[in-house]
Amino acid sequence: MPELRKDPLIGRWVIIATERAKRPVDFVAFHDEPAPQADCPFCAGNEARTPKEILALRGPGPGTSPSGWQVRVIPSINPLLRIEGALNRRGKGMYDVMDGIGAHEVIVESPQHIANAADLPVEQVHAALQASMTRITDLERDPRFRYALWFKNYGSIAGAGRVEHARSQLIATPVTPLRVKEELVGTRRYYEDKERCLICDLLRQERESKVRVVIDSAHIIALCPFASRFPFELWLVPKRHNCDFARMQPEELGDLAAVLQQVLSRLKAVLDDPPYNALLHTAPFRRQRGKVGHWKTIEEDYHWHIELIPRLTRVAGFEWGSGFYINPTPPEEAAKYLREAGIEEPAAAEVKP
Amino acid sequence: MSELRRDPVMGRWNIIETEGPAGPEAFEVAEHTPSGGRCPFCAGNEGMTPPEIYAVRPPGGSPNGPGWRLRVVSNKFPALKIEGDLDRRGIGVFDFCNGVGAHEVIIETPDHQRQMSDLTLEECSSVITAFKVRSLDLRGDRRLRYTLIFKNFGLAAGASLEHSHSQLIALPIVPKRVQEELKGAERYFEFRERCPYCDMLHQELQDDERLVCENYSFVALCPFMSGFPFEVWVLPKEHRADFAQIGPEAVGDFARILKEVLQRVRGALSNPAYNFIIHTAPIETREREEYHWHLELIPKLTRIAGFEWGTGFYINPTSPERAAKALREAL
Repeated sequence: MPELRKDPLIGRWVIIATERAKRPVDFVAFHDEPAPQADCPFCAGNEARTPKEILALRGPGPGTSPSGWQVRVIPSINPLLRIEGALNRRGKGMYDVMDGIGAHEVIVESPQHIANAADLPVEQVHAALQASMTRITDLERDPRFRYALWFKNYGSIAGAGRVEHARSQLIATPVTPLRVKEELVGTRRYYEDKERCLICDLLRQERESKVRVVIDSAHIIALCPFASRFPFELWLVPKRHNCDFARMQPEELGDLAAVLQQVLSRLKAVLDDPPYNALLHTAPFRRQRGKVGHWKTIEEDYHWHIELIPRLTRVAGFEWGSGFYINPTPPEEAAKYLREAGIEEPAAAEVKP
Repeated sequence: MSELRRDPVMGRWNIIETEGPAGPEAFEVAEHTPSGGRCPFCAGNEGMTPPEIYAVRPPGGSPNGPGWRLRVVSNKFPALKIEGDLDRRGIGVFDFCNGVGAHEVIIETPDHQRQMSDLTLEECSSVITAFKVRSLDLRGDRRLRYTLIFKNFGLAAGASLEHSHSQLIALPIVPKRVQEELKGAERYFEFRERCPYCDMLHQELQDDERLVCENYSFVALCPFMSGFPFEVWVLPKEHRADFAQIGPEAVGDFARILKEVLQRVRGALSNPAYNFIIHTAPIETREREEYHWHLELIPKLTRIAGFEWGTGFYINPTSPERAAKALREAL
């Protein structure tokens, strides 16, 4: 019997096809022809081809460039939003409009031409996350912005284009995006009811049942969420309750880098190098507004996490339009494959009769 | 320079390129060319599908045999099953229930070579009538709360079979996206005591720049806050919340405008893959003053990346004004 499962955060129902579930071999990872490496603006030596860098973290480390950088943050070459100007909010009859103001930055995660963050040394992943934290903290000072979205597209299907160089992106927006707001509202409602954080409760339950847990590390848990919309969808969640990614402790950051790199490697192994998107869900900017109004209890009720979505199915406008998803791989199965991918060799060779 | 535009119902902001918007030529379209092969939806292969639920068949033919013009069958690989109880239950923080519901396929023509825009007006009307008849019939099942009617055309839009068909899924829950839409419309109505879609129609008919085409009962337009390039909505001029209440004359007008829109999209964008979805009120007895059924069509032209996932706000490289112009000039 297929199952309908409800996402406890935003109340979205998902169909989980429990019969004839799709296994990793049923999915074919697709990549477009890459652009030639010589054209890559993100490689060491081509620094002049990008806009002026905003931030660079410098070595020593295994991946440092000849000129000494490990990770660079630059303004996007094709920004979706423009940094200069006022929002100019206005109405047009029944419609509301404002100018496309915002920040769009690219975090180049390695001086070498490596496409998938799964193939980077943990030190590089660590430096890239560190740079992201620094940039989010800095962007929060701009009073025009309400939210910074950190995300990562790998593979052309996932929106990375044809330049195969590991990078993540940061977009600061003048509005809190709808998708984020839904989650904030959902967790707040739960908190109002129970005076507990929904995600803390969820973690406790998942760690007890273990069926959907992929990695249970010192500070970070990787799991396949109960109401996954997509096959092999993953969440990385900190064990310590904290609403704000940019306020992570150094030991949490170290563990996050290790778990992220490990999970990406396992996805690569199990699903034959799939395209994917990674997304940070964190609290909106609050420094300007303080703890008032809407998000009064946000420090208590929200819990940051990273969502990871391999792009395996052809989700079309239908799912987008209806908000209704059909997932052919139960998360319990997905978690099992991903757990087993971490076991390199059996301890002793079993003798089969 | 881009503009942020807000969906007056959903409250979602989209980023829209208004200076130098991308025209039809900016998109690489994988052209749809039917390859043939043994197709379960073709005339003569009726045995390959589950038994038919509904058919348009000139007198003389027998059920599940050839001679039909349109067939509705259960999906052979249904996302939901019609038998059984919902059995709603919870484990800790999680809620779930059995996947009970209906999943039907509307085979729009026996001819493998024709797509929906090639159908005659009469055939198109039969498709709309089938949507209506099936919606009304499923309403009798008390377990069901919502009927979703949609079409995936082309591989890129998620169609696994190329033979022209649309689908109907009847659900025991109201999908999140629909709930949000209903809530947004309620909020708008509460303040103004007018339906937001009726307001939209008034303003768009006056503005003119986002209109694609219209007839006696329907208007096709590119919405002001389009999240996707060449997104088209078809709205009935008369306020009505429930698609299934569509009258016999309106069926003909809806078929005519839908066919025309599909032809225009095909003409402007060299036959792209697309999805359409009928947005309608849930299965209920009351008539909503604030909601207005409509069809949303999205050609599959862009790839959805991390930003859209995380924010639920979309980046549209083609302003709806530019898209509407291209579609008006397409025929």
